[in-house]
Amino acid sequence: MTNVNVDIFPTEGNVRGPLLGSIALHAALFVLALFGYLIPSSRGESWGGTSGGGGAMSATLVSSIPLPTPPAETQNVLANESKGLAQSPPKETAKEEPQAIPIPERQAKKGQRESAQKKPPPKEVAKVEDNQIPFGQGGPVSGPYGAFTAGNVKGGLSFTGGSGDFGSRFGWYVDGVRRKVSENWLKYEVDPRIDTAHRVYIYFEISRSGQPTDLRVEQSSGIPSLDQSALRALQRIDTFGPLPPEYAGRYVAVEFWFDYKR
Amino acid sequence: MLKKIAFVFALLAFFTRCLPAQDWIRTGTGLGVEKIRLAVPDFKVVTADPTTQKLTENFNVTLWNDLQVAGIFDMVSKSFYPLSQPGAPQEVKLGEWGSPPPNANMLAFGNVSVQGGSLNVQGWLYDTKNPKSPQVLGKQYREEANDANARIIAHRFADEIIFRLGGGVQGIAETRIYFVSNRSGSKEIWQMDYDGANQKQLTHLGTIALSPHVSPDGTRVAFSGVTREGWQLQMYSLELGRLVNFPRFGGDNYSPAWSSDGQNLAFSSSRSGNTEIYTVGSAGGNPRRLTDSKGPDVSPTWNPKTNAQIAWVSGRTGLPQIYTMASDGTNAARVTDQGYAVSPSWSPNGQFLAFAWVRHYGPGEPGSSDIYVMDVASKQWVQLTHDGGHNDFPSWSPDGRHIVFQSKRGGKTQIWSMLADGSELRQLTAGGENTQPNWSFK
Repeated sequence: MTNVNVDIFPTEGNVRGPLLGSIALHAALFVLALFGYLIPSSRGESWGGTSGGGGAMSATLVSSIPLPTPPAETQNVLANESKGLAQSPPKETAKEEPQAIPIPERQAKKGQRESAQKKPPPKEVAKVEDNQIPFGQGGPVSGPYGAFTAGNVKGGLSFTGGSGDFGSRFGWYVDGVRRKVSENWLKYEVDPRIDTAHRVYIYFEISRSGQPTDLRVEQSSGIPSLDQSALRALQRIDTFGPLPPEYAGRYVAVEFWFDYKR
Repeated sequence: MLKKIAFVFALLAFFTRCLPAQDWIRTGTGLGVEKIRLAVPDFKVVTADPTTQKLTENFNVTLWNDLQVAGIFDMVSKSFYPLSQPGAPQEVKLGEWGSPPPNANMLAFGNVSVQGGSLNVQGWLYDTKNPKSPQVLGKQYREEANDANARIIAHRFADEIIFRLGGGVQGIAETRIYFVSNRSGSKEIWQMDYDGANQKQLTHLGTIALSPHVSPDGTRVAFSGVTREGWQLQMYSLELGRLVNFPRFGGDNYSPAWSSDGQNLAFSSSRSGNTEIYTVGSAGGNPRRLTDSKGPDVSPTWNPKTNAQIAWVSGRTGLPQIYTMASDGTNAARVTDQGYAVSPSWSPNGQFLAFAWVRHYGPGEPGSSDIYVMDVASKQWVQLTHDGGHNDFPSWSPDGRHIVFQSKRGGKTQIWSMLADGSELRQLTAGGENTQPNWSFK
């Protein structure tokens, strides 16, 4: 038996140097991290801060916005024929019937036209006119008047009566309706065990004399006490005031939604 | 130190739990949290003579005051207004009014002129955020040129604005308040405009007249007065300007209250020995007894929305408490649970009771009498007056947004008004002692 002595730690005696170096490096890193944490950096964004353009939680009173902003949500998710505010992308042209004999010139022209058409209009999509209100059914009308927030509950409405321009012509009336409903919605009527709920939609009509009629839950939140509180808010209201004399219709139809979150 | 901080936080947490009560009381009374920013530049003087100048000043002050008191507007301070003063639609630059500094939602403007002894006022209300069709209201008034008419026109224009923007609720600028005053030497019935102007003595009995209550149509004032037969219900006709006949009942009779349909009066009477609540027809016929208890039953008030309920004060369990019952005397239920509660007044929408309450009453309990409002259905209440002497006899305005009451906060008992959330306190009377206000139905 030969005793083979293999030196697997050839630098055993020199380990102290690198070890000290490593400790020093780690300490430096720690100090850097510590200072980086304590000293506020001028770079980066503060989330939810007021200095930024849009905070993480922005609570702006809608009525203070001078003109309608594009609605965030449409009312009926399933079947909505509204074009909305965003312009729809151009339709693709129907495919040309296959040619038996390809003509080189024609092919080249078609290719050019297709590529031109497929290009999305660069700026038009984002461009929303200041005073643009989507015509017809669909997006909530008259943005500045369309919604209210009280604490952490929200509500909103859209007018569907008349020729669709009631909200833009009589914004002050829509605003009155919104205010009156929000004033009469008593949040304590909702089951205290409920923290958050789906949106409830209430439908009603305002007669010429201003009375709410034909009141019903259009789409339930699934929570009876919330549905009831929303209904009662409207039942408490005797009148919204007569419809504007300049308005020709017999009534206006209103869809009012309530969001609840404790 | 830590304990102190923890205590402060606990206190804060407690108060934030309490806050929602105030919030919904405010909303239920039609006083939304969010108010309409309304700019009202002085109306332009068209004809340049001293009379027009004076009438216009009177008009401007009254209009501003009416709109400010209404409780639904955030009046934009005049220092924010653009320099140009519009007097007609073509002079309005909506952009200037709708953007900061005024940043108004609505703009009321117009002009005043005097021609041939008649006062002409043109007034408009514009929605500043709707440049396409800004006009909400356009009105023209013509009356004989005097100060009283300048006030009346301002009241009417203010009421039109409030009616349009306040959700169809009629304004109160032309309403009246009836009250008891001793400034002529004895306690007589007086009347004044809702803002304290035009105070006028109605009765000249030389005895004691108390608890006036005006009829819903505004033609008669019922009150209780001392006669040879003791305390009796008496009726003063505002149309004839004198007392008219009303049947006398046995015993002492106090505190008449009209139902809102004008068909019935409720009052308290001791004709059967004990003081109980009775109702009679508007002409005094067909008396009916509603209560029957050992303690005194006084101060009835109808639910004006339905006339199917009456609230009153009963001492059947000791200290006076507020009770409600159906107008036929059934379903009596106690509303307040402690202290000393008197003088109920039912809000026009039937939702609230206002009353005076000493919540902690008795020896060693230095409680003061304050005005409270309670939601009848949920029994939740909110205190409206604080640290202001003895407050009593609240009465609701017909729009349900204001309450008038008597208060001894200045040393002498005077009549004050406030919004139904306790804000915008205003003293309405000054001479003598003035008590027991009653706000007219319209």
